Amino acid sequence: MLNIKTIDDASINERVYQLNLGPQHPSTHGVLHLLLKLDGEVVIAADPIVGYSHRGHEKMAENRIWEQFLPNTSRIDYLSGLIYNQGYCMAVEKLCGIEVPERAEYIRVITSELNRISSHLLGIMAFVMDIGAFTPFLYGWDDREHVLDLLERVTGSRLTYCYNRFGGVRNDIDQEFCDGTRRFIDRLRGRFKDYHNLITENIIFIKRTRGVGIITEETALEFGVTGPSLRGSGVNYDVRKNEPYSVYPEFDFEIPVRKEGDVMARYQVRMAEMEQSMNIIEQALDNLPEGPVRSHVPRFIDPPAGDIYFAFESARGAVGYYIVSDGTRVPYRIKVRTPSFSNLFVLTRVLPGNFIADAIATLGSIDVVVPEIDR
Amino acid sequence: MNITQLPFIKEIYGFLGHDLTATVTGILIILVFVPLNSAFLVWVERKVAGHIQLRPGPMEVGPHGILQTLIDAVKLMSKEMITPKLADKFLFWLAPIIIIIPAIVCFVVIPFSPLMQVREMNVGILLIFSFSSITVLSILMGGWASNNKYALIGAVRAVAQNVAYEIPLLLSTMSIIIMTNSFKMSEITAAQSPVWFIVYQPVAAIIFFISTTAETNRAPFDLVEAESELVSGFHTEYTGMRFALFFLAEYTNMFIAASMGAVLFFGGWHGPFFPGLIWFVVKVYILIFVIIWVRWTFPRLRFDQLMNFAWKFMIPVALINLMITAIVLKVL
Amino acid sequence: MPTEGQKKLLEELKNSLTRALPEGRITSGDYARTGCHLEVRLSDVGMRRVAAVMKDKRFHLETITAVDFPGSFELIYLYSTYYDDICRVIAHIQILKDASPHTVSAIYPGAIWLEREIYDFFGIRFLDHPDLRRILNPDNADYFPLLKTFGKTKLTEEIDDILC
Repeated sequence: MLNIKTIDDASINERVYQLNLGPQHPSTHGVLHLLLKLDGEVVIAADPIVGYSHRGHEKMAENRIWEQFLPNTSRIDYLSGLIYNQGYCMAVEKLCGIEVPERAEYIRVITSELNRISSHLLGIMAFVMDIGAFTPFLYGWDDREHVLDLLERVTGSRLTYCYNRFGGVRNDIDQEFCDGTRRFIDRLRGRFKDYHNLITENIIFIKRTRGVGIITEETALEFGVTGPSLRGSGVNYDVRKNEPYSVYPEFDFEIPVRKEGDVMARYQVRMAEMEQSMNIIEQALDNLPEGPVRSHVPRFIDPPAGDIYFAFESARGAVGYYIVSDGTRVPYRIKVRTPSFSNLFVLTRVLPGNFIADAIATLGSIDVVVPEIDR
Repeated sequence: MNITQLPFIKEIYGFLGHDLTATVTGILIILVFVPLNSAFLVWVERKVAGHIQLRPGPMEVGPHGILQTLIDAVKLMSKEMITPKLADKFLFWLAPIIIIIPAIVCFVVIPFSPLMQVREMNVGILLIFSFSSITVLSILMGGWASNNKYALIGAVRAVAQNVAYEIPLLLSTMSIIIMTNSFKMSEITAAQSPVWFIVYQPVAAIIFFISTTAETNRAPFDLVEAESELVSGFHTEYTGMRFALFFLAEYTNMFIAASMGAVLFFGGWHGPFFPGLIWFVVKVYILIFVIIWVRWTFPRLRFDQLMNFAWKFMIPVALINLMITAIVLKVL
Repeated sequence: MPTEGQKKLLEELKNSLTRALPEGRITSGDYARTGCHLEVRLSDVGMRRVAAVMKDKRFHLETITAVDFPGSFELIYLYSTYYDDICRVIAHIQILKDASPHTVSAIYPGAIWLEREIYDFFGIRFLDHPDLRRILNPDNADYFPLLKTFGKTKLTEEIDDILC
């Protein structure tokens, strides 16, 4: 394990200088402080320093009743707010044994997949902007506006959602939402051609991303990497397939996997995942059942004592809620296992030996959201 | 009524003589033109960038935002000019000055039209090359004197990049010069009377175009000021009017590079119907538009890829082009 | 419904763990209720042996966390597999309040940050940890936030007052 405090090679010591990438920096996504030790342009050691946006969500959980923690969940990872919301509700429902009506499950899947698309759009385009292509960033945000408008009609928020409740969702979706979503999916499919022309087949982009920042399967296993960063390294692991929850088993979708493990592979995995999400949404809209959207649940729930671990897949990887309940109305302990925490730590192994420019590209391709690390 | 018979001007004209008055007037016109040109180009870049990115760009100040740069200049003038405490004060102050003066001097030899050239020099092209190389010195000064690691990395990259891309730039220009046997800009322009040189030298034109994009530190070669990596590169620590001077110099250099391109390859002031000045300006601004277009389309090259591209690809191609030109000229 | 592959894997794991940990209790978990297939309960030491067995079987360390119970801490290690059918192993390790557990970072380097977080939140120092410093709270903080004795913890009576 690389320990940056003891770089003992005397000859290299004189040329090594320290560079602070962040915490205020145009391209670290969020308040991330990356301490780099450099020899010229080559990175010798990298030490991410986190904690700048630590808000204490896990302590807050011990001071609130179960329902009051719902808004917290979407602020942990603000780009996958609905997915975290859904995961928390499902974890508590599993703990209490609450049944959720089928229509609510379908609505949860549709909104979560839309959330996943919007998160990937932002993540990919911000990464491409770090490489230097400013224009696709704005095209991606244009598409993202449509998703945010759709979700705002239904949930009332654009970014930090609190739409799921124990037992279902807060309110029903209407026909206009379904039509708007179908229109959006058609539009996005057309835009993918533009993105492939502008980015994926651009020779400069290929040269910047091929063979750069390779995460091997062994490294991923040692660090607990999940999500597109793992699927880009050849491991076919997605919680929606390996450990299905909600109504995902009823949908027919693939998990894109690439073998190379470099930045380009992760980018391709994310783009392909967006297409799969669109498939899932279309299937869900086609088969949307009628019925209530929330089962009858007491206003303040009283879960039994015990602990539970519930895993689900956010845009960044496998999230887990480890909830310890002592039978009261207040949680005893909630631990949120966030994928960016492990994914970022991998950089200490991956970055040394690369140039600064590659470090930025790798950091962008891992798609970390720092508040998820800091909680 | 002859302008030189006006009361005040008559005195000066009589004192300085014809040549010197013309030169002084030309220089004054250039000094007025350069900031106006930069202001205009800043607005053009923002509008073009905006439209490529599906948004309108500046729209508030003036019709379609045309006064935006003026207001930005006023804002920059009102900002405090901070000098970092441990900076090398003399070099820090000197760097923005040294970057803009050679750029303005280069305007002296550019032939805007058959009659409008401030000074006819035998070594016009050499003058432009030598003065635009001084930019590197200024970038290095600015980066070193700022006492900032980001600035230093940016400055060091700039030196390596500029030195590397000077060579293909000169080699491609040499291919044109041996065709016309002259360094004079006006002669090169005059020699393109029926056919522009781009028809004879397309390879040299492409190499020239890529090299000037690298020389002026524009994307995709803008690692020097790569915003997402080095915050702002060598001008990270510069504020207020000093920053404005760097900015001004970048667009002035773009104009000079584009006018070199127009003179060498696109026939300078040649063109039907309209007077030469209008054609020259149109050609220059079209080339600048292409440079801006390339910036907002392509991502950035990594530094070692950039250097490899210069040394291992551009220089051999430029050399081969030069040799073929020389052989063809000898044979024909 | 557990598949054949899952049942076989669970059997193998149970055997390996029982061999490695004679003093621990290894039970099958109720996946539908708790999300874990196998539960290991130990007191104090043994986390490195569990980690070695899990690494050997190509499991990855999902997370480590701690819970502050009155009288003891409970360290929770969650292991899961990328390959084939899901299998999750949870290890509950009870330690005393001032104990120093061993680190598993020699086996799973990803544990370095996870254990730093536990130190930061609970004050539990890990032996032989290569880089034990705070991660999320300020470096000069003199408190451990997730202890039940720190800060205000709402009692259920207060909550009931607010809710009525």
